[in-house]
Amino acid sequence: MADINAMKAKELLAHYQVTLDEEARQAKKEGRLVCWSASVAPPELCVAMDIAMVYPETHAAGIGARKGALDMIAVAERKGYSLDTCSYARVNLGYMELLKQQALTGETPEVLANSPAAKVPLPDLVITCNNICNTLLKWYENLAKELNIPCIIIDVPFNHTMPIPHYAKDYIAEQFKYAITQLEEICGRPFDYDRFYEVQQQTQRSVSAWKRVASLASHKPSPLNAFDLFNYMALIVCARSRDYSEITFNKFAEELEENLANGVYAFKGNEKNRITWEGIAVWPHLSHTFKSLKSLDTIMTGSAYPGLWNLEYTPGDWHSMAEAYTRIYINTCLDNKVDVLLDVINSAKSDGVVYHQNRSCKLMSLLNVETADKIQKETGLPYTNFDGDQTDPRNFAPAQFDTRVQALAETMTARQ
Amino acid sequence: MITMGIDIGSASSKVVILENGNKILAAEVVQIGTGSSGPRKALEQAFHASGLKQADIEKFVATGYGRSAYEDADKQISEISCHAKGVHFLIPDTRTIIDIGGQDAKAIGLDEQGNVKQFFMNDKCAAGTGRFLDVMARVLEVSLDELDDLDKLATEPAAVSSTCTVFAESEVISQLSKGIAKENIIAGIHASVSSKACGLIYRLGIEDTIVMTGGVAKDAGVSRAISKELGKTVVTAPNPQTTGALGAAIYAYEAACRK
Amino acid sequence: MDRINYIINELKCIADNPKKAMDDYKKATGKGAVGIMPLYCPEEIVHAAGYLPMGIWGGHRKISKSRAYLPPFACSIMQTVMEMQLDSVYDDLAAVIFSVPCDTLKCLSQKWKGTSPVIVFTHPQNRVIEASNAFLVEEFKILKARLEEILDTKISDESITESIRIYNENRQVMREFTQVAAKYPHIINAVTRHSVIKARFFMEKSSHTALVKELLAEIRQLDPKPWTGKKVILTGIMAEPNEMLDILNEFDMAVVADDLAQESRQFRVDVPDDDDPLYRLAKWWQDFYGCALATDVKKYRGEMLINMVKEQQADGVIVCMMKFCDPEEFDYPIYYDQFQQEGIRSISIEIDQESQAFEQIKTRLQSFSELL
Repeated sequence: MADINAMKAKELLAHYQVTLDEEARQAKKEGRLVCWSASVAPPELCVAMDIAMVYPETHAAGIGARKGALDMIAVAERKGYSLDTCSYARVNLGYMELLKQQALTGETPEVLANSPAAKVPLPDLVITCNNICNTLLKWYENLAKELNIPCIIIDVPFNHTMPIPHYAKDYIAEQFKYAITQLEEICGRPFDYDRFYEVQQQTQRSVSAWKRVASLASHKPSPLNAFDLFNYMALIVCARSRDYSEITFNKFAEELEENLANGVYAFKGNEKNRITWEGIAVWPHLSHTFKSLKSLDTIMTGSAYPGLWNLEYTPGDWHSMAEAYTRIYINTCLDNKVDVLLDVINSAKSDGVVYHQNRSCKLMSLLNVETADKIQKETGLPYTNFDGDQTDPRNFAPAQFDTRVQALAETMTARQ
Repeated sequence: MITMGIDIGSASSKVVILENGNKILAAEVVQIGTGSSGPRKALEQAFHASGLKQADIEKFVATGYGRSAYEDADKQISEISCHAKGVHFLIPDTRTIIDIGGQDAKAIGLDEQGNVKQFFMNDKCAAGTGRFLDVMARVLEVSLDELDDLDKLATEPAAVSSTCTVFAESEVISQLSKGIAKENIIAGIHASVSSKACGLIYRLGIEDTIVMTGGVAKDAGVSRAISKELGKTVVTAPNPQTTGALGAAIYAYEAACRK
Repeated sequence: MDRINYIINELKCIADNPKKAMDDYKKATGKGAVGIMPLYCPEEIVHAAGYLPMGIWGGHRKISKSRAYLPPFACSIMQTVMEMQLDSVYDDLAAVIFSVPCDTLKCLSQKWKGTSPVIVFTHPQNRVIEASNAFLVEEFKILKARLEEILDTKISDESITESIRIYNENRQVMREFTQVAAKYPHIINAVTRHSVIKARFFMEKSSHTALVKELLAEIRQLDPKPWTGKKVILTGIMAEPNEMLDILNEFDMAVVADDLAQESRQFRVDVPDDDDPLYRLAKWWQDFYGCALATDVKKYRGEMLINMVKEQQADGVIVCMMKFCDPEEFDYPIYYDQFQQEGIRSISIEIDQESQAFEQIKTRLQSFSELL
């Protein structure tokens, strides 16, 4: 039995990710329900019904980081998925296809056996939410159709005008209620509203702990390199409504706060420049991107990513929960998106911005020019962009990245 | 009865002259393609080799990228159908054809009669085509003819993974500057072309006998890489660049017989 | 036949010259046009204001200025739309209405480079509950209010109701047209069929209905001739440009039905009855089916296409895959598998509005016709 109290944050992160996958496998074995969920879909509803949660995006990111993405992508592309589609989806749909073959034939396909993918079971239901993109609607439609299972949709309509209008929250709140009727039917028992309230409170504690960690990057020099947030993100995605994330993040925050108090910083004294990284990580080349910036004494202190999970709301208030899930910055008009990013850049005390033009993500790429323009006018900060992909390793050229960040670093240094 | 087929591609022109639908009297390839003197030169060479002239030809079918512009032919038929016809004649057990030319790659699925069941093509992108090999050979400062022999000397294929020819070019240049051996980079390039080809074959469904045609088939390094990736034998058609023209000549024969 | 050719030619001219159609409308009515971005905007509200709803579907155009604002992997139609914005092609529009059912449209709605004011609304994608209709009604209220403000006019419920009636009549006639076109492919070929349908985006709908009704009456007087060529069904966002449709004509492939967003999806379903016209327009969206942009966890599109093939006794399906269109790309593997199970032949061709050369598409379509 692992001693949680004795473990460092890094160990807790690994331990809980393994635990969550094990819980999902165990649930499947025991005939309990497993759900595959979009990363910012509300987990509270399913967790309240003791459904084991699996997160395809995090799962795919892990496969990408462990250099196993191409095998999964090949399976999806053979089924006819265009290489233009989101690589998270291709990796996951490829993985699902292999699990399906395994379930139908009783034999494990060689590609699956050789894959570094974490072992997770097929779902009994899926839940999706389009607060981070509409591709998640298409991807999950396909999962539901291929596996012949129910799909719960939480549709949070694009907020073309801010603030979020009441009628939008009405619609989202009604969907929460509809989701509950769907869950009652799927689970064959009434929804546990008491447990739900507890789960909402737990979610708020987890979110609070996440914010506590993320805010530490605003210190100059910073005890926290935001690349670490990319790694710890796994738990705010996969364990948001459990205490695993709360425990790990509070531990991490304590460690960082202690470092800060003792003058121990992430780049140890070599923090020359601070950047905000706008976009997803390049998982298959994560190490390269980190090392490249580090060699330029450039630390990442800003990212809009942590904010995606600042899902603060009042437990028991449907409209408050609705607002939290719909106000994600990429689900809002350009002006609001820019405001949120400006906040991130300023809090992080950034010297420059790096924009990831992600081949897999239209929503996070097609407004980069206008976003960069507006932010440049507001802040005067230099910026660069580069071509990359969140999980398809073929869409990144290390030489291009290195050249561009080096040029940015030189510009930032010259301005000091 | 003498019939003829001409296959006018982007990078080469091919002519086959056929007697009674089964005896090949001439099979010529000229390395210039559509919109040039290529087709005419190929015809001249074919007439010279067979000792025949235009008037001896009963029927004449054109295929390939440049077929529509070629007005002299009696009929135009797509190169997918012609490759199928030609390869089925040479190797009747063929069920899968992988044809990689100068600017496109195709996987063609046949039934027992040699009819086309389904096909998948890559014709918008240089990756996985002869053009990709051209670009890489230039970067490595080798000729296309040398690619096969150099590939045989490879100890460990380098990763050339990009979907984009331009990105791949930059990958290869990075590897050269890191001192990775040319032979290993070439093996990587072959694996990259193979990967694109296999992607098309998988969409089709793999079925023996698998036959490779097209100009790129002359580089055995590619067919070895495809064979390795599929875990299956890949047969290179005899005179692989002319199978389209052969099929066209057979189609011409069938049309002539119907009259 | 003379009258038939005359009407076809008139519709073709309108389809090929949207700007002239808009100018003519302005001259005749004194009112201008409002741009309607694809997909499924409530044109009836614009029509009720007396303005001409003009469909914006990009065009056959080289991309250059657009490169500064969009990466190469934005969908082809939005590339040309952006190019045309930058060429000031759309600046005479009194307003432009955007729906945002996909990620690309969400972004494009935020970066209009022309001078017209932009109105954005969002379709609900959880279309199975009543709350979805209520949401869309609120969006339409705001849309209507903004339109009234920009056009300096009032749009009454009565006028919207009347516009719905006109639009439903046009939908009905268009469905009839596609049926008739399937029976008379030697009169209505692929290019003609497309022109008749496209013209409705640049005409006041009742005028379009009148012309098409007359066309149908003329055609029905003729004897249908047996079709010796192949019969195909098109599916996707749109099937353009005409050079690509010419290839269908060249190889005797008759379009006997379509599932295109620019064509039949526009008139597949009528606006239903109810008291409140805005509610009726909202409910249309809930009733709508078979489109990649309208969420459907049952993915009925494949079954729908298979039924179409059987009904029309079609020889195959041509997937007109809009280049870099994610929603369509996600639907493809699902319905392709269903086709395979039913033994339905299909081919996928890329629709790239920038394309100047069509030999590659010709090879594919010719090969497809040869194997059917």
